[in-house]
Amino acid sequence: MFFHITLERNMQLHPRHFGPHLRDKLVAKLMKDVEGTCSGRHGFVVAITSVEDIGKGLIREGTGFVTFPVKYQCVVFRPFKGEILEAVVTMVNKMGFFAEAGPVQIFVSNHLIPDDMEFQSEDVSNYTTSDGSVKIQKDSEVRLKIIGTRVDATEIFSIGTIKDDFLGVINDPGAAS
Amino acid sequence: MADDDYNDMDMGYEDEPPEPEIEEGAEVEEENNDDVPDDIIGAENEEKEQEPVEHPRKTSKYMTKYERARILGTRALQISMNAPVMVELEGETDPLEIAMKELRERKIPFTIRRYLPDGSYEDWGVDELIVEDSWKRQVGGD
Repeated sequence: MFFHITLERNMQLHPRHFGPHLRDKLVAKLMKDVEGTCSGRHGFVVAITSVEDIGKGLIREGTGFVTFPVKYQCVVFRPFKGEILEAVVTMVNKMGFFAEAGPVQIFVSNHLIPDDMEFQSEDVSNYTTSDGSVKIQKDSEVRLKIIGTRVDATEIFSIGTIKDDFLGVINDPGAAS
Repeated sequence: MADDDYNDMDMGYEDEPPEPEIEEGAEVEEENNDDVPDDIIGAENEEKEQEPVEHPRKTSKYMTKYERARILGTRALQISMNAPVMVELEGETDPLEIAMKELRERKIPFTIRRYLPDGSYEDWGVDELIVEDSWKRQVGGD
């Protein structure tokens, strides 16, 4: 799920960036530092939408650096248990398959793939129904449900299932060929 | 194990506001509004920051030699790290000399936060404080 939240961060700024463009430099550095990172608490920071407030700087003794408390609004993405996501399959093996929904890696075990789908180790390994009508392979788009997440300090990894109504392949660019 | 504990503590510490590192009553602040045109916002901020202080400030209007030393040291360090210089240079190259010149012309963009024993503080801009003539002897002022 996506959230639009306000976060705070203390930014250290090198003295060479002082001057009339201090704020711009600070915002540029904030975007470089924060966008694309993942915190276990808030999830992946997708984008900074606005900088609300830059507080008064505090000079760090001994280094000459200045610390600014910066308040900013950003869009974060965090997967939740029970959430339905659409994801792109990145790897298929006999244990199941990996899919990616944006920055999040999702693993779907073969226990959580419908029983009528079998693993096929052809040149492109895939899961196929017995009648061959549905095929999951690399680059397939699947709709899946997240049944568990592991949240590290800097990474979020999820376990998903497609063994439920309305889950499974939604669009398969690879199947046409 | 003990190591882990230590690390945890350390991380917790980093999240905290950077207050504790300050020794001596004086804390130096960068006024981030130095040459940004929207001066008013900076001034407003200052007003807010000063909420623990009633209007008449009660500490000395003279800069102490400790404040002066710390300001010159910090400013010289920043200049040595390529911070933009706030005064016209006439061939000076030594960062400390440049810092002294800035102080003489009251162009150092710092605010001193003087902590009082009861934990409250007063903010004094470097440009508001009277610098005693001790620097004249050392810098050969005029």
